[in-house]
Amino acid sequence: MDIYGTYRQTMDKVMQDLADRIRAGGNPSGHDKLYEHLSCRIKSDESAREKLRRKGLEESTENALLKLKDTIGLRIVCRFVDDVYECVRLIRELPGLRVVKEKDYIHDAKPNGYRSYHMVIEVTVDEEDVAGNNPGHYFAEIQLRTIAMDTWAALEHELKYKKDISNQEMIVRELRRCANDLAACDISMQTLRKLILS
Amino acid sequence: MKILLAEDEEDLRDVVTEYLRFQGYQVTPVCNGAEAFKAAKEDAFDAMVLDVMMPVMDGITAIKKIREIGNTSPAIFLTAKSQVEDRIEGLDAGADDYLTKPFSMEELSARLRALGRRKRDYRPRLLKFGNIELDMEQSELKAINTISLAQKEIRLLSYFIDHPDEEITAEDLIKEVWDKEQANNDMVMMYVSFLRGKLESVQANVMIECGEDQSYRIREL
Repeated sequence: MDIYGTYRQTMDKVMQDLADRIRAGGNPSGHDKLYEHLSCRIKSDESAREKLRRKGLEESTENALLKLKDTIGLRIVCRFVDDVYECVRLIRELPGLRVVKEKDYIHDAKPNGYRSYHMVIEVTVDEEDVAGNNPGHYFAEIQLRTIAMDTWAALEHELKYKKDISNQEMIVRELRRCANDLAACDISMQTLRKLILS
Repeated sequence: MKILLAEDEEDLRDVVTEYLRFQGYQVTPVCNGAEAFKAAKEDAFDAMVLDVMMPVMDGITAIKKIREIGNTSPAIFLTAKSQVEDRIEGLDAGADDYLTKPFSMEELSARLRALGRRKRDYRPRLLKFGNIELDMEQSELKAINTISLAQKEIRLLSYFIDHPDEEITAEDLIKEVWDKEQANNDMVMMYVSFLRGKLESVQANVMIECGEDQSYRIREL
């Protein structure tokens, strides 16, 4: 059995339910889809344990479910920047969840060029949680970004695991420039869409 | 295009001023090098026309001082003498071209046009306004965040920065940015919209306002 123990089933349920509700809201009839794709995952047993170790915490089910806020993860990839914020509004209004934390890395890009919108939410569900509450509370992290931001993050993620690159500094600098180019493209596309629609 | 003209001979100053104004330039006439230096400190000129021999402060000293404060606007010398030494001294002091008196107004006007075309070469590589930095070498706009700019956006923004708080018409921008390419008011509006979006995305405390009748203005918030 993995670190989530008997709670694994409920986590799956929470994740699927959340994804279904966002799908329903993100596909208004007669309108364009608000997002291009939505994916979700439960953090693997191995990476949950690794993260707990990194934080200096004991590898227990309690810690995994209460201290890690991204064991349930959703990613929403939109075509335009405005759609990202529209999705954020939609999520905030969903019943039965509380927004715990929001970080707007689109407004304040990370120094390496990373751009995304992060939300940590707490979902209430009619099942027991690790603290013995029923209805129980489960944390989930939602990452929202544009297709351009997603493309960049995918490459940056690959680079992270290649520590032996000789010209690391140059690659990092050029990758940051790519992030700035893609952000420029996002803004131009958003502006063009507004011009077309106005 | 704004021109600073420094000439101590009153008749010649008036004639050149009138001629250039007739040609559509905005002219600020002054009568010596000290006044030219003061004017160059207070206002941004697209080009300067300076006489060499002037009382109070001569043209060569004036251009040296103007260059010392980082001003890179193109400058043309007017010189009564045709000695080679004079021209060398003027060019070494920071002038870009010279005309020997007597000169034809048409030639002065043509040389100003030529300098205007080459103006981009004189530009500093980093422009600042409000909390923004326009890095022309990296094609980047920086404030809290950083974003890339296209060549046209860079030329557009640098023109705005050179003319802060001034009303700028779409016609001015077409002349400055699109040269002889096909351009119209809609295209200017689109590029200004791109720039506005990018200024917002880097969290600039600077904005480009769109007035009625296709005019624009950059200002600090």
